Amino acid sequence: MSGEQPITVTVNGEPRTAPTEPRMLLADFLRHELGLTGTHVGCEQGVCGACTVLVDGELVRSCLLFAVQADGAAVETVESLGTREALHPIQEAFREHHALQCGFCTPGFLMAAKALLDAEPDPTEAEIRDHLRGNICRCTGYTGIVAAVRAAAQQLAQEGDRGR
Amino acid sequence: MAADSAPHVGRRRLRVEDPRLLTGGGRFVDDVELPGMLHAAFVRSPHPHARILGIDTEAALALDGVHAVVTGADLAEVVQPFVSALERPEVRTLVRDVLTTDRVRHVGEAVAVVVASSRYLAEDGCDLVAVDWAPTPAVADPLAAMTPDAPQVDPDAPGNLVADIRLESGDVEGCFAGADHVFAKRLHAQRHWGAPLENDGVLASYVPATDELTMWCTTQTPHATQSLVADALGMPSAQVRVIAHDMGGGFGARARTSVEEAIVPAVSRLLGRPVKWIADRSETLAAGVHAKEMVVDLSVAVTNGRLTAMRADVISDAGAYSLFPFTSLVDAISAPAAMPGIYVPEALAYRTRSVLTNKSWSGPYRGIGQGVSQVVRELLVDEVARELEVDPIELRVRNMATGDGPHRTHTGFVYDGGSYVQALRAVQERMDYAGLRDEQRRRRAAGEEPYLGIGVGAYVEFSGWSGELGRAHGYPSDYYDSASVTVEPDGSVMVTTGAQSHGQSHETTLAQVAADALGVAPDEVTVREGDTATSVWGMGTWASRTAVIYGGAIMRAAGDVRGRMALLAGHMLECSPDDVEMRDGRVWVAGSPDAAIAFADVAGFAYFGTAMAGHAGTGGGRPGELDVALTSTRPYSPPQVFSNGAIGVVATVDPGTGVVAVERVAFVEDCGTMLNPMVVDGQIAGSVGQAIGAALFEELSYGDDGAFLSPTLQDYLLPTALDMPALDIGHLVSPSPVTEGGIKGMGEVGMVCGPAAIACAVADALAPLGVRIDRMPLDPDGVLDAIRRARD
Ligand code: FES
Ligand code: FES
Repeated sequence: MSGEQPITVTVNGEPRTAPTEPRMLLADFLRHELGLTGTHVGCEQGVCGACTVLVDGELVRSCLLFAVQADGAAVETVESLGTREALHPIQEAFREHHALQCGFCTPGFLMAAKALLDAEPDPTEAEIRDHLRGNICRCTGYTGIVAAVRAAAQQLAQEGDRGR
Repeated sequence: MAADSAPHVGRRRLRVEDPRLLTGGGRFVDDVELPGMLHAAFVRSPHPHARILGIDTEAALALDGVHAVVTGADLAEVVQPFVSALERPEVRTLVRDVLTTDRVRHVGEAVAVVVASSRYLAEDGCDLVAVDWAPTPAVADPLAAMTPDAPQVDPDAPGNLVADIRLESGDVEGCFAGADHVFAKRLHAQRHWGAPLENDGVLASYVPATDELTMWCTTQTPHATQSLVADALGMPSAQVRVIAHDMGGGFGARARTSVEEAIVPAVSRLLGRPVKWIADRSETLAAGVHAKEMVVDLSVAVTNGRLTAMRADVISDAGAYSLFPFTSLVDAISAPAAMPGIYVPEALAYRTRSVLTNKSWSGPYRGIGQGVSQVVRELLVDEVARELEVDPIELRVRNMATGDGPHRTHTGFVYDGGSYVQALRAVQERMDYAGLRDEQRRRRAAGEEPYLGIGVGAYVEFSGWSGELGRAHGYPSDYYDSASVTVEPDGSVMVTTGAQSHGQSHETTLAQVAADALGVAPDEVTVREGDTATSVWGMGTWASRTAVIYGGAIMRAAGDVRGRMALLAGHMLECSPDDVEMRDGRVWVAGSPDAAIAFADVAGFAYFGTAMAGHAGTGGGRPGELDVALTSTRPYSPPQVFSNGAIGVVATVDPGTGVVAVERVAFVEDCGTMLNPMVVDGQIAGSVGQAIGAALFEELSYGDDGAFLSPTLQDYLLPTALDMPALDIGHLVSPSPVTEGGIKGMGEVGMVCGPAAIACAVADALAPLGVRIDRMPLDPDGVLDAIRRARD
């Protein structure tokens, strides 16, 4: 393909290099070049938040960023959280509070929740709702999601106390 | 009772689906990649109505990486058109070429497919396809479409009429003539839709060497799609495999076979290579299955405070084509059928028409028919209450079916009973209705803004859609739905069904059903669906049918298998099969639980005459008459079954800005035997969320000229976490007397009663201004417009 150039992105802690067209979206790069299909695409219009990932610790919509813009950056996707055997506390809380139905929006919500709790370990319900307003869930009515983020905050705080 | 002990039905069990979905391990269509796969993109019409004079594909074909450009002419020979028909004299049979050759009928209709080595190049190719259009006049408004000079959308539907159906039952004339009062209103319900978060997609792989087609697609009906696509392509069904593993929502919008589900496989077959198409959001919005756009006139006769008769006239906007295979009558038939709702008038008449316009086709969205009927009826009931100065709850209670026994409606439904009045009273209490009315009076007296409004409603939801319920609606056909249950040699259990789970948690809840029916732990049960090669046949998941139908089919199949396990165990335990008990993975002679053997050992005995390694066995020697298959497939087609409940909404309305905020929702539902209360609550919360969008802002807008005005999610607004109120849920349990296990379906609840209760709350808040609600949605413009009209 014309105009391809290799870029290197540290994805979930691992440097990954792949030839990339300048117009390739970060979402497509993650999903189709690197095979990390946990990041979903619901609109490519920057509205739904399904494609949310962290780039150098910042929440971004990977459908609004070209992959070349992430050259040299560190990207975190849902695959960086827990595993089936050892879920991350946020994932655990999502399961416990039935915060997902079809699961299509879930990776975006998990990353958005992680960014929130990294920045604000004890958010109020209003802060949680406000922070998550950029992510659309068509299935759950958000009730379980908001409850899960609150519970995850408490769990992470407890773990932090124990770690201290 | 130990947490892992039966019964498992009724327990809050965490979801089996979650670990994969939480870790990015879901298997959605676009996650599947095949060797040699090509990518498709569609050239779509910018015009609402136009003739196609020519399509020049040369420049696109010259582009490096483009493999093919396929037009309707290329497919005409290889794909049969879709025929949407209902065997009723009042309904016209309409035919749709899957890819048009001569004319487009709505913005977003596909005219060509570009296939390239990447999606990016396929889209480049689309830009290079030159279509010579001759635009013709279009009609977007269903009432305008019925006028004599309106542009004709389909030559087979003169007057743009797909169907015109009338029904009359009881002495309607007499009731109206003798009524103390007659109340009437017209409601315009806006076009909106399910809007699943995952866009539509099809990956088709036709393998010439084996003449087999495998397709992954976003469908709620894998088996029906298998049959319909095979038929369209002229292939035996058995050579076609349809897979829909995980899917990002459906809500009815995928209870259909899309044209793309026929086009993409046909293209794969032409090219002999796998072809993937993933819709972008604009084409999903412009060409998806829209819903619920109706103009409904309802009048009621009231005598002595009783609703004695109803007369309804429904005009339902079909869009440009009759949906395949359910036709454009999904809302048109259900809305008048559901018009009585929870009420018991002495007489009822309706007329319903389905009208073509130059918009995308329409079909199911959660709460088909029922939701819009509920809006117009409940708004009107509140207007009656206001006029007669009766409390709206008391007026409802006075006019409701009690739920004590079966009730037959004038429209052909047979309600199986439930907690109809209790549910409404329970909501009244939960929301502190009396306290709210006091608060409202205080605020009104003080002139406080925003205004406070209260909306209440009771509902029945039709569920378990089988042939019987379908026929009661006026859909003259039967359905086949089945489940299979197999005990494997190690005692684990495989369940397959013809359903398709896209958020409804079947892997979790149906395992609970099978576990109880067999006497094993749910963790021993694997539920497989969404793959026609591995699952038994069924009509899929829509219309709140899965729990009732497939739950019942599983109980029946598991009953067969359990009986055979008892035969084997009777031999092993040297007792009569009738004395064998099974629970929690153990099998024993009644009265001697201490001498139990393992369920797995009985399974091993069935397969090998001895238990599998490591278990105590009998050393072989299974008698010939015990050569039984530990598997059974059973269909189930239940009688009509209805869940019920009630809702209370507290909302505020700012008369200056027109902004409505839903502050609180109280919900009491009764779906009979609950499989898993956590999942039931999830369905309530999700459907209430959708009700807020439906009532307050979701709208697929078209200009009068047919221009499509909602191509992005910035135009088509979906509710966010900020829009969702506090939700208080209560349950009543009235098991159905007519279904297996007493199960009733409840997947649509909030979309059955929610938009109505929200609209009632807004009307209540604005009642002192003399405002009447006759248009949805109640977005700021809509609310301000209603206030303005009341003032003028
Ligand atoms: S896909 Fe990026 S915001 Fe929707
Ligand atoms: S769980 Fe389906 S969109 Fe959120």
